[in-house]
Amino acid sequence: MTPPQRVLVTGVSNPLGSEVARRLSTQVPYLFGCDVNDPVSALEDMDFVHADTRQSVIGKLVRQLRIDTVVHLAVVIDSPREDRATHETNVIGTMNVLAGCAGPSSPVSRLVVKSSQAVYGARPEYPSLIVEDSAGIGRADSPVSRDLAELEQLTHDFALRNPGCRVARIRLGYRMTRETSLGRYLSLPLVPTFAGFDPRLQLLHEEDAAEAIARAALGDQEGVFNVAGDGVLVLSQAIAIMGARATPVLPPYGRWASRVAVRFATGVRIPAHMADLLMHGSVVDCSRLQTEFGWRPTYSTRAVLDAFALGQTEEPIESPSPPQEYELQVYLQRRRRERRNGHGSAALALSR
Amino acid sequence: MSRLPADDLYSGTQSQRRRTSRNARVVNAPPPLLRLPRTMRRLQRQAPMLAIHGLSELSGRLRDLTGHELIDMARVMELMQFVYRQQQLARRGADYAVDDFGFDAEWTESFLPLFKILYRDYWRIETAGIEQVPAAGRALLVANHAGVLPWDGTMIKTAVFAEHPNPRHVRALVASLFMGMPVLSWFLRRTGQTVGHPDDTRRLLERDQLVLVFPEGVRGTGKLYQDRYKLRRFGRGGFVSTAIRSGAPIVPVSVVGSEELYPMIGDATPLAKLFGLPYFPITPFWPWLGPLGIIPLPSKWRIQFHPAIHVEVHPPEAADDQNLVMALADQVRDTIQQGVYENLKLRRGVFV
Repeated sequence: MTPPQRVLVTGVSNPLGSEVARRLSTQVPYLFGCDVNDPVSALEDMDFVHADTRQSVIGKLVRQLRIDTVVHLAVVIDSPREDRATHETNVIGTMNVLAGCAGPSSPVSRLVVKSSQAVYGARPEYPSLIVEDSAGIGRADSPVSRDLAELEQLTHDFALRNPGCRVARIRLGYRMTRETSLGRYLSLPLVPTFAGFDPRLQLLHEEDAAEAIARAALGDQEGVFNVAGDGVLVLSQAIAIMGARATPVLPPYGRWASRVAVRFATGVRIPAHMADLLMHGSVVDCSRLQTEFGWRPTYSTRAVLDAFALGQTEEPIESPSPPQEYELQVYLQRRRRERRNGHGSAALALSR
Repeated sequence: MSRLPADDLYSGTQSQRRRTSRNARVVNAPPPLLRLPRTMRRLQRQAPMLAIHGLSELSGRLRDLTGHELIDMARVMELMQFVYRQQQLARRGADYAVDDFGFDAEWTESFLPLFKILYRDYWRIETAGIEQVPAAGRALLVANHAGVLPWDGTMIKTAVFAEHPNPRHVRALVASLFMGMPVLSWFLRRTGQTVGHPDDTRRLLERDQLVLVFPEGVRGTGKLYQDRYKLRRFGRGGFVSTAIRSGAPIVPVSVVGSEELYPMIGDATPLAKLFGLPYFPITPFWPWLGPLGIIPLPSKWRIQFHPAIHVEVHPPEAADDQNLVMALADQVRDTIQQGVYENLKLRRGVFV
């Protein structure tokens, strides 16, 4: 296995994407990122391209830039809205990326696709620790789970039809940040819970998620991998750690009404797959990740929540406004290109 | 969560500074407006001790009068301990850990005094062959199932924890149906049960746990009174395959007395369908007496643990040999059925 030379990261502007790019930038000679939105933080060693995966530009991009490794992170796994746009991004976007990487003329020999634990859904009849090959995937009835199942099926078919390309699907566990539904939900001072249910939760730290994807991009392991923190917490325990109070007010039947009620009362949207999670819980088995990657997430479920609870008390750092960052990025890219062309010092002198 | 802003520490007047100083002493809460006299407060504090003194006095008098132990002080102290333990556990907040299956050993053990009262005083259970349960290492306990509600599982768990020289927790497997019900879903998991899935059985056995399985399932609990002590089909022998794969011996367990808890004279199938239950029992007391109908009758119980059937001598490949598996399943079933008949003969009557 040759180490990757030219890596393309799609969806690089979301927080996870930029973290993955930051990790890869020190390991990879040529790093390219594409997204619809401008990246939030500038990365000197990355070339940023405005490209939408929902259009068929990836094929051209991959061939023009002679990309050998594609990290597909333009997948929405936790959206407050479950609308057509999410479906377009997840299914049509992935379809375009796969089409771009397929075929004999494609230089791509490694593909990493982001997915989520949400693909399993949460059901009472599932085993306590779900393994990657569990039957019943795709039977989940929430829009996100359905999209993810379809996306994974497409990826699986791609892997079968393109034996020259080594494909890994990374199923990330539920993450706790200010942006995720679970993070917003557990940040409420009074947390509405389903009466008579206290499910087990398993969480994944943002750093571990990025590290898993970066390792997958640099490695050549094939197949599906669960990534989630060690150990479990029960929901009431998690709420206690957050210093909040559980209010078991949601009836276990008629979940749609409960979700609407929570949204009106607290402003937090609970996606359908999370309503299932908050009733039945979902815990995955990460032993395949450990045996094949020789690595396991460093944060346990408890540590993830402790870190999140600690971070809640601190003010978020004001991020610089994106347009400035983008201009800086363009400037740095230009400077690097000029340096590579051999008249770096002159260009620098001019720009000064 | 509220922190002192650092800027304010050394600004403001003397009195303000004293209030925000880190060296400030902790001041007791102001006394409530209405305060009971000192004697009353002392009485309030000493009430539990006084109650115990009074009870022991009464117990002694009654013993002298009647010559029988009418109030057993040991039992009373156990109950007091139970209440005290529950108070202690309520105060631990999030400071506890559950295993991957959601089992909280500390919390489970706190309920033991209650179940011991049922075990010794209500059903007067006689247990034989407890030494057949291995003191360490894995084993699969297989028992007959009866009596509408799974009291037999509770009592087998209590027997192994209370009578075994090396108290161990038994992890019972539960139908997924109950895992989706409010309250039951978390209570069963918190007390060590898990869903009846082959993956879960294998995982628990590999962690050297004692696993209890009722191969009859709801067919056993939902049978009519006229069919009592006639064992139903033992599933498809899946428990034998799992035991062979995990290298665990099978310990057959016969339970007598559980059939008479709720003598089921009919099954209201339409009602069962309406509530999504496997059966809706009609007994002489349920549903006519409302909640009182849930009180089980005080039948006389016997539990017998049989010598282990060492299925672990077979290689793991033998688990796929359906012929062998069914033969072993029948052997286990016959052992249990024989044990049930023998124990019925040893019992003098249903309630004595």
